Amino acid sequence: MLRESGILPFLLVAPALLFLAAILGWPLVSALLLSLQNITIIGSEGRWVGLSNYQAILGNPGFWKAAGLSAVWVVANAVVQTALALAAALVLNQRFPGVRVARTWIVLSWIVPTVVVVMIWRWLFSTSGGMVNPLLMSLGIIDRPIGFFGRPWTAMGTLIFINSWRWFPFLALMMLAGLTRIPDELFEAARIDGAGAFQRFRRITWPLLTPTLLVLAVVGTLLSFNVFDIIWLLTAGGPSGGTRTLPVMIYETAFKGYRLSEAATISVMATLLLMTFAVLATRWLAREADER
Amino acid sequence: MKSLLRGLLAGAALLAPLAHADAVELTLWHMEQPPHRVQRIQELIDAFNETHPDITVKQEPQNWGEIYAKAPAAVAAGAGPDLLFAIPDFTPIMKGIGALESVEDFVNELDAKHDFIDSAVQSYSYDGGVWAVPLYNMAMSMWYRKSVFEEAGVKVPETWSEWKEAAEKLSSDNVYGVGLPANKQLYTDQTVYSFMVNGGASEIFAEDGTLRFNNPETVAAYEAYAELQKMSPPDSPSWTWGEAEACFASRSCGTILQFTVISTYDTQAEGDPDDLGVAPIPYKEGQTQHNTISYANAVMILSKDDAKREAAKTFISWLLEPENYGKFLNMEPGLFLPITADGAEAESFWNDPLAQKYKSQIETMIENSKNGMLFGFTSGRTFPSIAPISAQNIIAETLQRIVVDGQDPAQAVAAGEDRMREVAK
Repeated sequence: MLRESGILPFLLVAPALLFLAAILGWPLVSALLLSLQNITIIGSEGRWVGLSNYQAILGNPGFWKAAGLSAVWVVANAVVQTALALAAALVLNQRFPGVRVARTWIVLSWIVPTVVVVMIWRWLFSTSGGMVNPLLMSLGIIDRPIGFFGRPWTAMGTLIFINSWRWFPFLALMMLAGLTRIPDELFEAARIDGAGAFQRFRRITWPLLTPTLLVLAVVGTLLSFNVFDIIWLLTAGGPSGGTRTLPVMIYETAFKGYRLSEAATISVMATLLLMTFAVLATRWLAREADER
Repeated sequence: MKSLLRGLLAGAALLAPLAHADAVELTLWHMEQPPHRVQRIQELIDAFNETHPDITVKQEPQNWGEIYAKAPAAVAAGAGPDLLFAIPDFTPIMKGIGALESVEDFVNELDAKHDFIDSAVQSYSYDGGVWAVPLYNMAMSMWYRKSVFEEAGVKVPETWSEWKEAAEKLSSDNVYGVGLPANKQLYTDQTVYSFMVNGGASEIFAEDGTLRFNNPETVAAYEAYAELQKMSPPDSPSWTWGEAEACFASRSCGTILQFTVISTYDTQAEGDPDDLGVAPIPYKEGQTQHNTISYANAVMILSKDDAKREAAKTFISWLLEPENYGKFLNMEPGLFLPITADGAEAESFWNDPLAQKYKSQIETMIENSKNGMLFGFTSGRTFPSIAPISAQNIIAETLQRIVVDGQDPAQAVAAGEDRMREVAK
């Protein structure tokens, strides 16, 4: 009866949808309601202020700077991680002694807890006993120690490096899965036709890996945008706001600036931005898949 | 007979929980997270619980980084602690959400018995009440190695220009003459304010509560700081307390400003008490007294329940008794200083091996702490709007404008005052 009426599929997915609505929908609605009030500290009273928080945030140069830094953060992480992951995946896709061990060990940096990652790199980059500065000096690359977190652009560059170091193994494994799906016969045929390694990469590997890369680009963008822990623990958005991305700004506004409603406003705007990106990217990926 | 005994034992077992059924339970939140501090607090709690069967105290260590957000949220959700440690700028926040009742009578009672340092009580006295009970003090000093100074032909600096001269002489290929932070973080707020109080710029607010941060004395303090900061390690714009201590312990920094280095110096450096120097922070030429930043840490009573409030007072009174107080302070020997007159003489404080070993340094720290001040809590007045200014580290942010962005100190201080006005709205 249920099957015939077509209700059954909806009934079956209803619990999952209700669960999602409870754990995702309610916080979103709360954030939206919060953004329309002027609540300062958690637990304090506020009044309705309409869209004035949105007006204030859009007129705040700090918001646009944070949005710009978020864009830099996302793009740079995507480029660095893709390059590292692709190189690692290509190596791990070869047959050589110890490849199984290498495939397992590469995920080490990804499974290490963030706090440990932060402690390790903070110490390595320190000018008081850290190893990176002496190494660079002994190689003649620098003549005096560098404060890696001491200037806005060096701090951003260092954070991107550390975050990429942490995340590239995950992408590498995804790419490796994509690479293993490419039939060996194609490479064999190309070899017989006299194609070199670069030509095989350009004509076979790259085109057939592109769908995987596009999916990873979408997922990676969403994941990178939301990274907060590494940035906060290493630089807290500094120096001089040089690494203050939107998630850092949201945290600072809410919990250091005691402007909870303003923080909710930035969160709502960031969510809308990410949702728009996700919808457009998903549609584009679907269209690409159809065309293939 | 056996069955009778069994019956009695079973009955006793059933009744045992009832014996403590009326015990008042207190939850203490503190931010002294290092394991040895947690252990020492637990030892004290165990001793208290044993001698006070009608009260059961339990501790839940928290983190300074998130307590400003977590505590108000917990109180709003009805899940807050009964006792919560605090520094002065934390109480306006908790008071602002209606979580506090004045403890003035209780503090007066304790003052009569133990004699609090006046400035410690003042930090928590405003709006017609006293909002927390002072527990321990922390004051910043200048740390150096006597042998390093002797080798470089440097005497302990009294003034800013002498300090600069000393730092220049101490600087070499492997040593930074001074280690001063420039991070937008509380440690930098503290070190910059240490310059301000030694340059006649201790008052951030005028008597009427308006801001007076932008004045020539503040600008001069920032100028002097920025000049010295040039001789600090290049990663000092990202420093917190730990990096400064590491720099000193590894002999990479000639001098640093810190509440204490005793523990790290003893365990990670030479540990030679005769070579460890501690001195008051140098002042600007023309000033006559060494000042410093000092924090009177305190405990707030959050519970609204009368029985719990009374139990909390019993616990705090017990903690401040000289035979227990020294043990409490020595959860981190050489960092936490007594805030009561009888505590400063308590055997339980001076009997600690580390306190004995570094006695002269600790005595100097206590002496320095007598001229301690804290931004927003000066001249017997308290300005609650310091809370958001402190939480957003505007003092440190102003320094970054100079050190990182290259702004002129006068412009940076003017911008700093604008930021203070904006966040204090």
